[in-house]
Amino acid sequence: MTGRIKILVVDDELIVRESLIGWLKKTGYEVAGAEGGARAIEMLSERDYDLIFLDIKMPDMSGIEVLQHIRANYPASMVIMITAYGSVENAVEAMKLGANDYLMKPFEPEQLALLVERLLQHKRLLDENLMLRERVAARMRCQDLIGASPCMQQLFNIIEEVATAESPVLLRGETGTGKELVAKAIHSRSGRCYGPFIPINCGAFTETLLESELFGHESGSFTGATRAKKGRLEIAQGGTLFLDEIGEIPLKMQVDLLRVLEEKRFHRVGATHDTPLDFRLICATHRDLNKEIQRGTFRQDFYYRLNVIEIEVPPLRLRVEDIPVLAEHFLEQFRKETNKPVVGIQQHAMKLLEAYQWPGNVRELENVIERAVVLAKGRYLTRNDFAFLFSTPAQTIPHSLKEMERQHIERLLKLCNWNISKAAGLLEINRVTLHSKIKKYGLHP
Amino acid sequence: MNPGRRGPVADDPPAAGVHPGATGSSSKEETSMRPLLTVGLVAMGHLAEVAIRVVAANLQTILGIHVDILEPLEVPRESFLTQRQQYDAGLILRHLAQSALPCHLRILGITAIDLCVPILTYVYGEAEVGGRVAVVSDFRLRQTDDGFPASLDRYYERLAKVALHEVAHTFALHHCDGPGCLMHFAATLKQLDRVKLLFCDHCEFALRMNLKQILADSTKAT
Repeated sequence: MTGRIKILVVDDELIVRESLIGWLKKTGYEVAGAEGGARAIEMLSERDYDLIFLDIKMPDMSGIEVLQHIRANYPASMVIMITAYGSVENAVEAMKLGANDYLMKPFEPEQLALLVERLLQHKRLLDENLMLRERVAARMRCQDLIGASPCMQQLFNIIEEVATAESPVLLRGETGTGKELVAKAIHSRSGRCYGPFIPINCGAFTETLLESELFGHESGSFTGATRAKKGRLEIAQGGTLFLDEIGEIPLKMQVDLLRVLEEKRFHRVGATHDTPLDFRLICATHRDLNKEIQRGTFRQDFYYRLNVIEIEVPPLRLRVEDIPVLAEHFLEQFRKETNKPVVGIQQHAMKLLEAYQWPGNVRELENVIERAVVLAKGRYLTRNDFAFLFSTPAQTIPHSLKEMERQHIERLLKLCNWNISKAAGLLEINRVTLHSKIKKYGLHP
Repeated sequence: MNPGRRGPVADDPPAAGVHPGATGSSSKEETSMRPLLTVGLVAMGHLAEVAIRVVAANLQTILGIHVDILEPLEVPRESFLTQRQQYDAGLILRHLAQSALPCHLRILGITAIDLCVPILTYVYGEAEVGGRVAVVSDFRLRQTDDGFPASLDRYYERLAKVALHEVAHTFALHHCDGPGCLMHFAATLKQLDRVKLLFCDHCEFALRMNLKQILADSTKAT
């Protein structure tokens, strides 16, 4: 419990409410009152209470119903049911539904004092337990990677093991699984952590531009090269070079890069002399490079040069137990960014997130939480905030193949946040073909 | 009721610290001489005079503020709860607050009737935190846990403790975790007897700070 202890007294009888509030205030607690169940639920959605006194019989809503709502949404709050003489059976039912204890009106002063002290002590222990769990949760992190699942714990161990080696690493995993975060984690644990971490998305450049980006160029080496430019290979000196979407690299450049990796030196476009290189290479791809080799789009020798250490980054659907901790992490991040008073995700809503397949993996989860926080109306994200994940818009099945293709491309582009390379990868066509289809169908973000 | 008594008895030497001129109808001169921090003590119903004097002396000594013994008041009839055969302490507080006792910073009613509040089976005393009025009852203080009569010393000590506890609530003090402190909540006589007739260092400090603030506010207001 942080700060003053907050107590809510829910009773439709004004004198009972005032009397109990008065007694609790004398002990220095922060106390509020609600005249009925509906009002109590409203107040609970506005702030957390450590202890709730809840009358069983109220005209608008029974205490049992309110108790069920509390247990479903605010499990950390302690609840004492208030019952009138002769209705103990209701109190027993409430205890079965999760009430912490009950008191019969009017209360014995000693009984009340002891019960409040005992429950608040219990709450203190629960909070301490939560704090300890949070400390343990810190162990669930590896740099910016979060995960308590066995596969993520295994991944963290592999990261620790490979970080100190100098060998190239090939990261494999679906889009949005956090391959760049794994690369950063390896870099930050390596002896090169004080050097630069230079990422480059190979799928985001045309062949000529990619060559210029990687190797740099001398002034006047081609039309428009008015001044000399350092390439990423050179900027990464002493650090780590991260080549994302390595499967997108054209065959010619694969040869150039293979040479660089073999000889550990290179020369800028238009340069006459070689420059020695010293960086660690980490590559990533969502493609099956073995298939690409069979297709002839990826060089086998280049593959073996890159694939000294292969790490598989698991998709989110295979580590469902990480979804709550990731969702809470993103909630906290976007709560701070948007300054919205959203403090948690309701249990039912969390179950919904756990049930979803997450084709876009952690990145999709991040986007979904951001959207929910931005649009949130209350203090807790509810099932309604995530209903859109499961909505299947009423679409008529198109008759023509052309229309079917248009809809499919549009859907995948949305799924990949209009990342052309990724969408092209999923569609198993090249980027140029995808661009031409986007143009043909007049698609736009 | 004790109809013969009007403030401190003239023949007796005034109890230590009890303001000698205090009555419910003090003169203008007396009012102007009265310190700003003064508690008015009101007997409600029949009560032994010595009990009032003991409470007054303890309030004066431990709180270090002046105490006036005022004219007695009747217990309001509407405070009697027929079903429970007890008196509602909240209604007595309301009655005290509405009575014409404007010259005192705080008013403490002392009574011999059995007090309760709607949510509790009984109370030894009642006050609102930061309020102006408090009430204490000696009804449950006169016996031991076994039901035998308590010694007079023990009875007076208990009464003083409850009175100080309730008056301290009016000076914005809350219950204290310290088991020996006067502000520790005592639900039973055994617990009350374990409490010392002293505030712990923390409550003593808080009390002094609050009194200082109240004095500063009152001076500003006058």
